[in-house]
Amino acid sequence: MFYTVVLSVANGNAFLTAFPLLLPILGTMGGMGAMLVFTNDRTKGVFEYLIAYGIPPRRIFLNVIETALVMLSVVDVATLSVGIGLRIALGRGIPFQFVLDIVVYSVPMSYGTAAFTSAAGMFWTSLSSPRQGMNSPLGLLPTLGIAPGVLVLVIALAVGPALAVYVAVSAVVVVVIAAVALLALGSRLLPRERLLSPA
Amino acid sequence: MPSSAVRSSGPASRAADRFRISCRGVSSGYLGHRVLQDVSFTIDQPSIYVVLGPNGAGKTTLFRTLAGILRPYEGEVTIGDEDIDRQRSRDHLHYLSHVDGIPDGLQVREALEFYARVERAEASDVDRVLDLLEIQELSDRYLSQLSAGQRKRVSIARVFLREREIYLLDEPTANLDPKLAREIRTIILGLSRDKIVLYSSHNLFEAREIGRHVLVLRGGRLVLFDRIENLRSAHFVIGVRVLEPTDALSEFTLQGDYYLRELSGPQEVPALLRDLETRGVRIREVREMENPLEDLFE
Repeated sequence: MFYTVVLSVANGNAFLTAFPLLLPILGTMGGMGAMLVFTNDRTKGVFEYLIAYGIPPRRIFLNVIETALVMLSVVDVATLSVGIGLRIALGRGIPFQFVLDIVVYSVPMSYGTAAFTSAAGMFWTSLSSPRQGMNSPLGLLPTLGIAPGVLVLVIALAVGPALAVYVAVSAVVVVVIAAVALLALGSRLLPRERLLSPA
Repeated sequence: MPSSAVRSSGPASRAADRFRISCRGVSSGYLGHRVLQDVSFTIDQPSIYVVLGPNGAGKTTLFRTLAGILRPYEGEVTIGDEDIDRQRSRDHLHYLSHVDGIPDGLQVREALEFYARVERAEASDVDRVLDLLEIQELSDRYLSQLSAGQRKRVSIARVFLREREIYLLDEPTANLDPKLAREIRTIILGLSRDKIVLYSSHNLFEAREIGRHVLVLRGGRLVLFDRIENLRSAHFVIGVRVLEPTDALSEFTLQGDYYLRELSGPQEVPALLRDLETRGVRIREVREMENPLEDLFE
């Protein structure tokens, strides 16, 4: 899909431009759902209760990420079903390039974005008092999550269709590495005190 | 009484030793900032231990450290002879946070079933605590729809899902109406017959009513650990409410409905009352106006 967008824009065909970034954007939304749980708990104290009963903070942190990815999976499957169904219904078929775009760019980018935005959002939340607006991680996440996908698209358009696939794969690798690095550093960047409500 | 190492009084049986909670030279806090400083005590007798202190004294930090939520920078917390970090130690302990600790997105029954699974309690225990806290009619309501008092009841119900030996209750009656607060205190008093209950409150009259021992924190340090009955007010003031004012009360100070008089101690009260009766004063009520716990905050 990503490649299709680059081609269609380069060829002056804007018809297919709306679909390619959908999964990475939905990845951001998946991250926001899990972030809601995390942000909300800073005044609820459920995590505090779980730690008191022996559940390690690292497991809580990873469970929030897992929740984001599970929510994203549901949304991804539904979106792809609708997208594929529409293509078939409109008689456009399922070309190899379409499958390649989904497998190489859209799906990994959506999971990488969800994991990265969830982890980064939790760290951001934990550094500040609960508040509304752009200082809230929920205000930050759309920018944090959508920006990489749009940035990659702009770069791909600049370099042209021949190199677009390399840009896409490189972006996916960078986002996935960033997400894995944040997950690995989770317990260090998010000590148990950060999970507690104000005393 | 500056106290670096104190313990509850009374003969310690072997059974009681199993449920001993000890704090030895504990300093803890948040992200390197120390809130508690060198706190030491041992509690090995079933009773209610009221934790008092002004805002910021370290009460919540103490409860979190005892519950194993915060790790001490120095010192250790043990249950029996085992460190609080061991799961076996945590299984002896219930912790009620000063915040609700209940998720908004669930119904009351769903939330309690979730907590029952965490605590390995039986499904029938959910119905038992719904009855105990009189929240059966709320069981199908979403937690987000409940008032602060109702949420507190659900939060407290969680603590009674499974019996344990040590209860850490951080402000359990905050946000409750007086009737329910009294009922909760009655339940907690029942617990204290064979359980260790640490209880924090800002309500000094409640603390005096329910507590048998008091731990006072000030500036993160434990400055007093004693039986409440051993505390004496710096000023012993009684208030007398009468059916009709008379000149016999001219030496008293009127404050609201009460005629106040400072005495040197409670031993002088019977003589004073006899004197007032002989002078024709018709007494309706006599009460101690000063709470010795108030002096702990001065």
